[in-house]
Amino acid sequence: MTDVATYPRKRLKLERRVNPSFSWTFTMYLAATLLGLALSALLLWTSGADVVKAFSTLLTGAFGSQKAWVATLSKATPLILTGLATVVAFRAQVWSIGQEGQVYAGAMGAYLGCLMFAGLPVWLYLSLIILSGMIGGALLGSIAAWLKDRFDVNEIISTVMMNYLIVFLLSYLLGGGPWTEVASTVVYQQTGPVPALSELPHLMGSKKLHLGFVFAMVSAVICYVLLEKTPLGYEIRAMGYNPVALAYRGTNIGRTIILVMAISGAIAGLAGVSQIFGTSHRLRADTLYGLGYTGIIIGMIGGLRPLGTVVAGIVFGGLASGALYMKLLAKVPSALVPAMEGILLLTFLCAAVAARYKFVRVGDVDV
Amino acid sequence: MPTLLKAVNLTKRFPGVIANEDVNFDLEVGEVHCLFGENGAGKSTLSSCLFGFYQPEGGHIEFDGKPVKFRSPRDAIHSGIGMVHQHFVLVADFTVLENIVVGTHEKGWKLDLPAARARVEKLCQEYGIELDLDASVRDLAVGQQQWVEILKALYLEARVLILDEPTAVLTPAESQRLFRIIGHMCELGLSIVLISHKMAEVMKADRVTVLRKGKVVGTVRPAEVTPQELTRMMVGRDVVLRVARDGAKRLPTEAAPVLVVDDLSYRDKQGKTALDHVSLTIGKGEILGLAGVSGNGQKELFEVLSGNLIPQTGQISLAGEQIKGLPSRHYMDRGVGLVPDDRFREGLIPEFNIRENMILGWQRHDDYTNGMFLDHSRIGTVADGLIDEFQIKAPSGATPVNHLSGGNAQKVILAREFVHSSKLLLANQPTRGLDLGVIEYVYNQIIAKRDEGYAILLASEELEDLLNLSDRIIVISGGRITGEVDPQNTTVEEIGLLMAGGRAEDAA
Repeated sequence: MTDVATYPRKRLKLERRVNPSFSWTFTMYLAATLLGLALSALLLWTSGADVVKAFSTLLTGAFGSQKAWVATLSKATPLILTGLATVVAFRAQVWSIGQEGQVYAGAMGAYLGCLMFAGLPVWLYLSLIILSGMIGGALLGSIAAWLKDRFDVNEIISTVMMNYLIVFLLSYLLGGGPWTEVASTVVYQQTGPVPALSELPHLMGSKKLHLGFVFAMVSAVICYVLLEKTPLGYEIRAMGYNPVALAYRGTNIGRTIILVMAISGAIAGLAGVSQIFGTSHRLRADTLYGLGYTGIIIGMIGGLRPLGTVVAGIVFGGLASGALYMKLLAKVPSALVPAMEGILLLTFLCAAVAARYKFVRVGDVDV
Repeated sequence: MPTLLKAVNLTKRFPGVIANEDVNFDLEVGEVHCLFGENGAGKSTLSSCLFGFYQPEGGHIEFDGKPVKFRSPRDAIHSGIGMVHQHFVLVADFTVLENIVVGTHEKGWKLDLPAARARVEKLCQEYGIELDLDASVRDLAVGQQQWVEILKALYLEARVLILDEPTAVLTPAESQRLFRIIGHMCELGLSIVLISHKMAEVMKADRVTVLRKGKVVGTVRPAEVTPQELTRMMVGRDVVLRVARDGAKRLPTEAAPVLVVDDLSYRDKQGKTALDHVSLTIGKGEILGLAGVSGNGQKELFEVLSGNLIPQTGQISLAGEQIKGLPSRHYMDRGVGLVPDDRFREGLIPEFNIRENMILGWQRHDDYTNGMFLDHSRIGTVADGLIDEFQIKAPSGATPVNHLSGGNAQKVILAREFVHSSKLLLANQPTRGLDLGVIEYVYNQIIAKRDEGYAILLASEELEDLLNLSDRIIVISGGRITGEVDPQNTTVEEIGLLMAGGRAEDAA
């Protein structure tokens, strides 16, 4: 190729990468973070806040002290779990939006367990509560999977609809139904406090961080091992890429979908258990609300990888707990925090796409 | 004859490959000019550049003596270039006439169908095309649908017609008719670019441009060269398909039947009969060839025989055991290997690496697991051994298969299916789209398995290959086995007749 003169135009062109490059991917995500922060700053500025002060209080509130870290990790706990639930489902390309409902189902299952198994030795009692929570989430997930397998019902629709159903079921149970708190003169939408024995133990003497955080970390490791090291993980990943070939070579797709949704539901259910028995100590809807939907964002930002999801969960936990400080000290409406989360999601999704491309100069010899 | 369309020093790159490099090509008025070459040689890239689908990075295109720049197929169509793709772009529920007119309307609001009909009828008459303009495209045979595509191009006043492997979906008789009309079109002044890799068709062209690895090897007149010379130009060396069996130690089929299929019928979800009372037997160490125009039940037959579809009636017995109705897992466990025709969709997980693909379907087998976990080191050893044995060209076993060429990807499937099967091998179009060198390799491997005593069902669109390889050939048409022939004493015409359903009028 000596005849470079035949290519008079030299211009930049976007080309798909054959192999991903680590440094390029890192650069893209860094750029996404900076761009996301810049857009957030713009948002803060238009709402009349002191941008520098807002960011610094947000950061201090999230990661500035040991106390801040504890708050951040405890906020991150359920988000990591719902994020992991998303990872398991989405890696199989089962587009479940049901994490929200599964959190509720997990909380309800666990509360039911806490009523049923009262009186057993404490370790058995706690184990059964956790187990029944996971079963609650898994059952709800399996229903959607079964509908998809048996009747080809789109899982997006069925899981979203079940999110509504489960919220109204809880509403009924707490608002006049059998689980309504009876002792008070005013009826709140909540149960009475759970027995002290059933509360998840706190970690490191803190009042906020509890055993649920350990569950989240263990779940992340289990998810990683499941996806990368086991035959089922192989099938889950293969199904995500090409279910046709997987089925052609003897794997029962319907059974795999049900397993995926059961595992995903169980992990989301764990988030519900952790909220009720670790944080609020009574069953009420407001501590569960939105965890599942945020988990989808976190799983996506984490690149549908367990480790990435843990990091993303902690960042979002930090945003959530830092938001309080920001609101108090910089007089910024805390409603701007979800908006910032949304901005970060968009820039991260863009980065994930950008990481797969590179610029080439058309006319260069070395392609 | 004056030159109508010309490519000068055309260069087109894709990430990591140069698809066309300094390609020079010219099309004279009234000629059939064939683009000949292996898959990946750059035929499709060149024709896509001529049709404005790709924009070349170097060189230029001249039409009617003037340099032109096609930014999209729209520009090419306006200049008078039409293209018929391998995969048709038709609306199934529209009539033939509607399909021809759709999308061509440029001015005003009113669709003047009667005027369009008059024009289309005139075109049909001029070129000798017989087609019912009011038939719904859904009801047409594939061969007739191709005429609709051709009429679409003619309706847009094409002066150049690019046909991309037009005979891939046709019976031998339909192909003959196509070439007869192509000849007539050229007499009337149309110019035709024909993309093909079938020698018989290439020899009918006025001129042939042979491409290899993105470059033009040469442009020749078929009348002045032999097929052997053309093959050598295309491949760069001589190719011999060696299929002779050592000694005549073939057992009669009935002596040791491996697969016995009896009166199998399958209706698909739409209630269409895809397999109609199919019976066949394959013996130990025997290759049974399956001939037929694609889409006549071959796919369903392979899916039924591998347990991926369960037929409504009939029996399947493998080595004496009834296995109809069992899921595909059980077929695999009993030694049935499957090479599907759509390799990247049905045979591989494209994003997985070679090692992972080597165990697809066997990921739960004791050999590859260690308690609950995949034994990655063992999988790596086995897979890397197979990569060597099957001469798969890849940087390492960790290379994703979507980075492999079609031939190497096919070798991954062959390696996996050969190593995990023991009795029956089902190979549907195992050489489709592969280079001659790889085709030779694939067939030699299949023959080696035959000599080991496998029963083999082999389907191919290349009748010559079937005639060379098979011990017996059955022909399928409309889901029915229309006949069985002995490859030693049959002709392409006889098989062609059976492929068309055995009705004499189709062979005219």
